[in-house]
Amino acid sequence: MEENKENLLIVDDEEINRAVLANIFSGEYHIIEAEDGMEALEIIRSGADSLSAVLLDVVMPRLSGIELLRKLSQEGLTNRIPVFLVTADSAGSTMKEAYELGVMDVILKPVVSYVVHRRVNSVVELFRARRRLGEEVERQRDQLLLQTQKLAEMGMGMVEALATAIEFRSDESGEHVHRIHDITCHLLSSTPLGDGLSEEQIKLIGLGAVTHDVGKISIPDAVLNKKGRLTPEEYELMKTHTVRGAELLSKIPQMREHSSYQYAYDIALHHHERWDGGGYPDHLKGDETPIWTQIVALADVYDALVSKRCYKDAFDAETALTMIREGKCGMFNPRLLDYFCREEPALRGYYLRNA
Amino acid sequence: MDEMKRQLLLAEGVDVDEAMERFMGNEALMMKFLLRFPQDENFAKLKQAMAQGDTAAAFEAAHTLKGVAGNLSMKTFFRQVSDIVEELRSGNLAEAEAKMPDLETVYVKTLDMLRQLA
Repeated sequence: MEENKENLLIVDDEEINRAVLANIFSGEYHIIEAEDGMEALEIIRSGADSLSAVLLDVVMPRLSGIELLRKLSQEGLTNRIPVFLVTADSAGSTMKEAYELGVMDVILKPVVSYVVHRRVNSVVELFRARRRLGEEVERQRDQLLLQTQKLAEMGMGMVEALATAIEFRSDESGEHVHRIHDITCHLLSSTPLGDGLSEEQIKLIGLGAVTHDVGKISIPDAVLNKKGRLTPEEYELMKTHTVRGAELLSKIPQMREHSSYQYAYDIALHHHERWDGGGYPDHLKGDETPIWTQIVALADVYDALVSKRCYKDAFDAETALTMIREGKCGMFNPRLLDYFCREEPALRGYYLRNA
Repeated sequence: MDEMKRQLLLAEGVDVDEAMERFMGNEALMMKFLLRFPQDENFAKLKQAMAQGDTAAAFEAAHTLKGVAGNLSMKTFFRQVSDIVEELRSGNLAEAEAKMPDLETVYVKTLDMLRQLA
């Protein structure tokens, strides 16, 4: 049974004092004795967590009780182990300093056994309960974090499912949205374009990129999947997928509360804007369109060029880059273009991997 | 505890019942420390320190004696030694010395009593 007992440290230079206290507590605790502050300090430092309480005399050689207390307080140990000052000196100053240094209680000598017993055990029980409660709170917090994470993952899964379903409708593989996500995150993480954005923000922007084309759900099949050129009327209708996409996102409360919403909304609305104001729907110029939306726009164009679509065959990467540089698909931010061209060889990896 | 012992202790101002309570009814442990009292060197140290005018050493010895007497509930001795401790704490060596004869009387009587007990 001995090993199940908790440890109680008694610090006093007088044998009779140690014996009296040890006799009171030896039934419930494994007693450790120290004859001065130095010895006690070594014991406490080597095994603070195994001590249930410390009973500390004040006047001792080498290191006094108050000096020891100062050290323990500095090291934050008085928060972890309840320390009781046992003193014959009821003068205010010692007691006041002791309490300020974090002792749980001051017990006057000569001690009254049942009083010491009760006071010490109450505090030990308090610390025990606090520790148990702390562990329980920590366990619950971990569980909550895990659930939140699962929920967030599920939310992202739903968003991706929605976006992929819409891609399927327009006769694309569904890989398109993933590549736009990958290219956007790659450029933000690997080039100075993402300066000032945290890893978490880049993740949210990536998620926002996934839903860039959700507005296409409102475009009739005949237009969406038309082989060949769109008529001007059909083109005008097609262009509405930007505004409709942003509208759609704003009408899903769960989406609106999601931390990626501000990015997703802007990307859906403005991923067809161009650097010279030649895009739609708002004809934004230059950096009026946030950099991440500009990146999605460029990624979208690049992906469309190098992929086979219902209305065109796939171009090889060099041709695609030349076309983009020549402004065949509208004007892009020159700085963005430079970084895009620099990273383009790496971007091809996303196509090989997903092929 | 047998009644004769108890009466002897009470007669010299030792509150046996209180002491027994402090030792949680462990009579053997209490007796061990009671009977060890005559060997305690602090009374001799106290006298010597006073004779040499060493207030600090006197205080230390008196303080220790007070602790032992308190634990053993030697009420009369404890009260007198406590007075001396306070005088010494305040640096009043002469006042402390003036209180020594009374303390010594109780001390000698206590030692006699303890010899009978042993």
